[in-house]
Amino acid sequence: MSTRDLLNMALRNLLKRKLRTFLTVLGVVIGTASIVVMVSIGIGMNESFARQLEDWGSLQVIDVYSPNGGGGHYMMEEEGSSGPQNKGKQVKLDGAAVDSFRQIAGVEAVSPIKSLYLMIGSGKLVADANFIGLDPATMEAMGYKIEDGRALSGEDVKAIVVGGGVEFYDPKLNWEMRMNSEPPEIELIGEKIDVTFDWGYGTRHADKSVKPFKFEVVGTMPADGNNGWSVIMPLKEVEKIEKAQKEWEKKSHGSSGGNNQKRSKEYEQVMVKVDDIKNVQVVQQQIKDMGYRASSLTDQLEAMKETTKMLRMVLGAIGAISLVVAAIGITNTMVMAIYERTREIGIMKVIGASLRDIKLLFLTEAAFIGFAGGIVGVGVSFVTSKLVNFVAMQHGSDMTSSIPLWLYLGSIAFATVIGVLSGYLPAKRAMKLSALTAIKTE
Amino acid sequence: MGRNVIRIKNVKKIYQMGKEKIQAVNGISLNIRQGEVCCLLGKSGSGKSTLLNLIAGLEKPSSGQIIFNKKHIERMNEDQLADFRQRYVGFVFQSYNLLPTLTAMENVTLPLIFKNVPLKERNERAMEMLTAVGLGDRAHHKPHEMSGGQQQRVSIARAFINSPQVVFADEPTGNLDTRTTYEMMDLITALASKNKQTLVIVTHDLELSDYADRIVMLSDGEVERIEDKRQAEGEKE
Repeated sequence: MSTRDLLNMALRNLLKRKLRTFLTVLGVVIGTASIVVMVSIGIGMNESFARQLEDWGSLQVIDVYSPNGGGGHYMMEEEGSSGPQNKGKQVKLDGAAVDSFRQIAGVEAVSPIKSLYLMIGSGKLVADANFIGLDPATMEAMGYKIEDGRALSGEDVKAIVVGGGVEFYDPKLNWEMRMNSEPPEIELIGEKIDVTFDWGYGTRHADKSVKPFKFEVVGTMPADGNNGWSVIMPLKEVEKIEKAQKEWEKKSHGSSGGNNQKRSKEYEQVMVKVDDIKNVQVVQQQIKDMGYRASSLTDQLEAMKETTKMLRMVLGAIGAISLVVAAIGITNTMVMAIYERTREIGIMKVIGASLRDIKLLFLTEAAFIGFAGGIVGVGVSFVTSKLVNFVAMQHGSDMTSSIPLWLYLGSIAFATVIGVLSGYLPAKRAMKLSALTAIKTE
Repeated sequence: MGRNVIRIKNVKKIYQMGKEKIQAVNGISLNIRQGEVCCLLGKSGSGKSTLLNLIAGLEKPSSGQIIFNKKHIERMNEDQLADFRQRYVGFVFQSYNLLPTLTAMENVTLPLIFKNVPLKERNERAMEMLTAVGLGDRAHHKPHEMSGGQQQRVSIARAFINSPQVVFADEPTGNLDTRTTYEMMDLITALASKNKQTLVIVTHDLELSDYADRIVMLSDGEVERIEDKRQAEGEKE
């Protein structure tokens, strides 16, 4: 029996009993749709975690810290695995380390980070903020969000990007008056502003010997992001200011910067941007194996996914139960069909249908039910998914539904397979019918 | 007459009905020759239908051998039997046994569908066959739109479409009136003799035996008497 004849005959048999076929297909539709929607909510959950974390920075960025920062404990752990040649040798987070990070496969950009707490002055207003110094060419790659203007680029020297959460105030007012007055609105982009380590800047306590550094604001960052209260500046400038600050401190307080001087070539932190989120954990592990401490937002993402794994499995199981019920429905329909069509099966056998033909005919009918149910079910889940997202948006809920293409195609294939499996028992039964008894049935 | 196409050797069929054993076929030996019209004649319960089912491979004998073209039918499994029926055998039943949802044409093409004959060819052959049985204009009617005689013609067309070596007919006219009975017998024997096909007819109707070359009279599961009409005619001449 050719495939075409088989499909044609199966389809005709199904259409002969329209209502029953419809009801059985409906069962599969509900089963498929519930699985797809449940799984899609699970996927939506993970995506919303990723989005939440994206607010805190790029998921593709790994923060690397010097092993000294966290004390010797970490190093001792690593020593065992890094072999005898590393024994007693401290890994340094220096220029050589930055270069070695660049060599790791999948790394897109690397930038050392140095941060410094400084004052900004614009006209009569001042603000204090955490200044992050990085390689200006990498700012865009590191996932800093820009609200207005632009990010720093490789050519920028005396340029900064200011976070929207940096609040300017009049230094002449006392703290209470500042709290009660509206924060002044100022347009920063294009402004030349002062940056200084002198905390008395703008007041009568200002140290006249400290000359403020001049910078141009080229962009701003959103206030609600991770860097809303920070100012981004080229690393070299931060280092220059730090050097000036130390000299000034030495001069005015006589404190020795000697200890710091020794470690001046070392960075507190290095940011490593990975080309794909999938490679983050691999690169991170390699960096850890080199003896550094490293963390990334994907750690958190993995942890969040892990904690909701159970919930997602329960959701999937609820969907699966409906599909199992649908599968039983298919089996029932096919068994009924055999009772009704006993005589027909007998006739077909007598006039030359092979056992395989009979089996395939019933399996095809069952597969058709599964396939049709899968197609319609996927359509229903598409609509349901949109509806869930709409309702979630109305209520400001974070529960969203997301259906990737593989889920659509996979569900149709899965429903069809379920159909075939459900049809197996009835098909076997049809096959075993004795031709003689079958044609004698009235 | 030609060689033996079917050789039946000491075939027995015993049914177990509760504690009682019923000997439906009790040691029958018989040869059926290529191209003859053989009539198995007997009363109800004589074992004639059971014998037909055994020869056609619809039932397995309790003992004995049934050899069709040197192949042992009693040893075949279900798949081999299906293949055997598809290649060598056509059936005509008392109750026509057409599929009610298919048209006359589709019913006739059904054996060809299982044989994987392409659509165009099988439709051409079915149309030829339907024309041969006088139903060329009824090709697209469903069984319930036709008279009993017409339905039986469709089933005859179906039995012959595959040019089988042997056609088995089990009380083919049992549901038909006298006039239609003769039409049907004329048709079926004409078709069979045209291609020298063997025809095995099971009936209780003595009049049908007029069409036979050989009449095998059965009684209580045994062969009572064999009447070879050709031989008899030959002797007369």
